[in-house]
Amino acid sequence: MASKPLKTSNAGASAHNISIKDRLSGWGQQHQLVAVETLMKLLTKPLGSAMTWLVIAISLTLPGAMWMTLDNLSQLSNRFQASGSMNVYLQPGLNENDAQALLREIRTRDHVAAASYISATQALAEFRDSSGLGDALDLLPENPLPGVIVVEPDLGAPQNDVKGLADTLKTDGRVDDVELDAAWLDRLHALLALSERIVWVLGALLALAIVLVVGNTIRLSIASRVDEIRVIKLVGATNAWVRRPFLYTGLWFGLVGGLLSWVLLVVGWLLVSGPVEDLARLYGSEFELQPLGAGAALVLLLGAMLLGWIGSWWSVFRHLHQIEP
Amino acid sequence: MSMVRFEGVTKRYSDGRSGSKEALSQVDFELAKGEFAFLTGHSGAGKSTLLKLMMQMERPSKGQVYVDGVSLNTMKASQVPYLRRKIGVVFQNHQLLFDRTVFDNVALPLLIAGYQPAEAARRVRAALDSVGLLGFEHRNPIELSGGEQQRVGIARAVVNKPKLLLADEPTGNLDPELSEEIMNLFLRFQQVGVTVLIATHDIALIERMGHRRLVLDHGRLYEHSTQHASSAGDDHGL
Ligand SMILES: Nc1ncnc2c1ncn2[C@@H]1O[C@H](COP(=O)(O)OP(=O)(O)OP(=O)(O)O)[C@@H](O)[C@H]1O
Ligand SMILES: [Mg+2]
Repeated sequence: MASKPLKTSNAGASAHNISIKDRLSGWGQQHQLVAVETLMKLLTKPLGSAMTWLVIAISLTLPGAMWMTLDNLSQLSNRFQASGSMNVYLQPGLNENDAQALLREIRTRDHVAAASYISATQALAEFRDSSGLGDALDLLPENPLPGVIVVEPDLGAPQNDVKGLADTLKTDGRVDDVELDAAWLDRLHALLALSERIVWVLGALLALAIVLVVGNTIRLSIASRVDEIRVIKLVGATNAWVRRPFLYTGLWFGLVGGLLSWVLLVVGWLLVSGPVEDLARLYGSEFELQPLGAGAALVLLLGAMLLGWIGSWWSVFRHLHQIEP
Repeated sequence: MSMVRFEGVTKRYSDGRSGSKEALSQVDFELAKGEFAFLTGHSGAGKSTLLKLMMQMERPSKGQVYVDGVSLNTMKASQVPYLRRKIGVVFQNHQLLFDRTVFDNVALPLLIAGYQPAEAARRVRAALDSVGLLGFEHRNPIELSGGEQQRVGIARAVVNKPKLLLADEPTGNLDPELSEEIMNLFLRFQQVGVTVLIATHDIALIERMGHRRLVLDHGRLYEHSTQHASSAGDDHGL
């Protein structure tokens, strides 16, 4: 060994002069390396982390499926909306010309698909036919029925706009009352809003569960690597350097869990969409169950990664600082 | 300027039951830049503690420690990693990682410092060469003998070309011949400007090599005045 050439000839002075550029690219490479290494570790030893993946996947699938259902239901409820027409009762004694003018006005309004006028006389005639009261009605001193304009809102016009239309018509001096048969629809919407709230609460709770599960998994992983952490801190690793693999691991947990959950949602959709369409056809509807959109899937994945990252961050912050050489 | 300076350093470990006891008492000393010194003393005298204080692995109960002109007492926690990168350290227990190869163990300080992989690989091989373990890169340290593991630890300590090299019992597991070669390796580092402090029990070796000698006795530090320098110079090998 003594005969070996001197390997230490430029020690000391040059030791710490690494250029900024090298440092930066070294830093980038380090990130890449850690990202790939941690992912490989997870994928080559799936048994150790499979439980965590599944918990994440299930925690995401539950609110995801509920969200998908609600999304479909609210689309469906919008169609119901379209079938509801509106009865505009005119002031008694409004003359024919004013009624026709109002009809033309209404036809030019937004969200109005069609409008037809039924005069008081017509209404009485119809009533006479349908009620079978016949001549009895002739005993009345005057026609008790008002004229009516029946308004068909646009297909797919938003609920609020249709209501707004009804409200403006109500304030018109020529109009006595507007009847919008939407009480059941209001109830449905209220129910949907409530369910949506429940999904959010449930989602928040399950998100918390994901954070805790990832946090706990990372805590165990930190505990099993205490010696290693001591050594790398001793040779000059910063806290950021020590944290990095754990944070990436959390990120990958989220990603894999999110992907699994997405697969579960797609499988669920495949299983359910056929029967739902059959059912819809029985009711004469063209309704099709919509799958999770690309945007929603992306939100699912990114959200899962974020949660995994938060979980590991939380764990790393609680436990890593206590480990000092 | 000095590389290391202790001013009235006392280190007290609080050990639950019998109150606290002093591992180091009022230690004052200075190591000049580029100096080579030995640290001796009985077991439990405080040698490891002294080295740990320089690494910021322990903090003094009293007094000031300066490394490379910087006071460690006022050093921010975020700066500690950069202090440690200036110091190469060989531990009493080798502190190798058994989940990776010899190469990866030695490369660790370089990766942490942000070296390019190619440059790091070059330096790792040079460091392994200097401890005579060139063919061992891909072995797992667990398969190596105690002495070989110790040399891997030494390679890791010198790979980053530190300004200060601390070694705690670096030749504990080595035969006399290998011990001397390792000491010569440390000497070569000193000759290119590295400050070296070696804690060891190996009095015979110290006597042969000469050099400054600090002695710890129950936490008190003495300068060993009578230097049996004699024929030490011949053994430097350079
Ligand atoms: N973490 C600790 N907590 C409490 N006491 C400690 C701790 N570390 C060391 N000591 C005590 O401090 C004293 C000095 O220990 P130190 O390890 O510095 O001795 P040393 O000179 O390195 O001994 P050796 O030659 O056996 O390695 C000893 O009495 C030891 O018991
Ligand atoms: Mg010791």
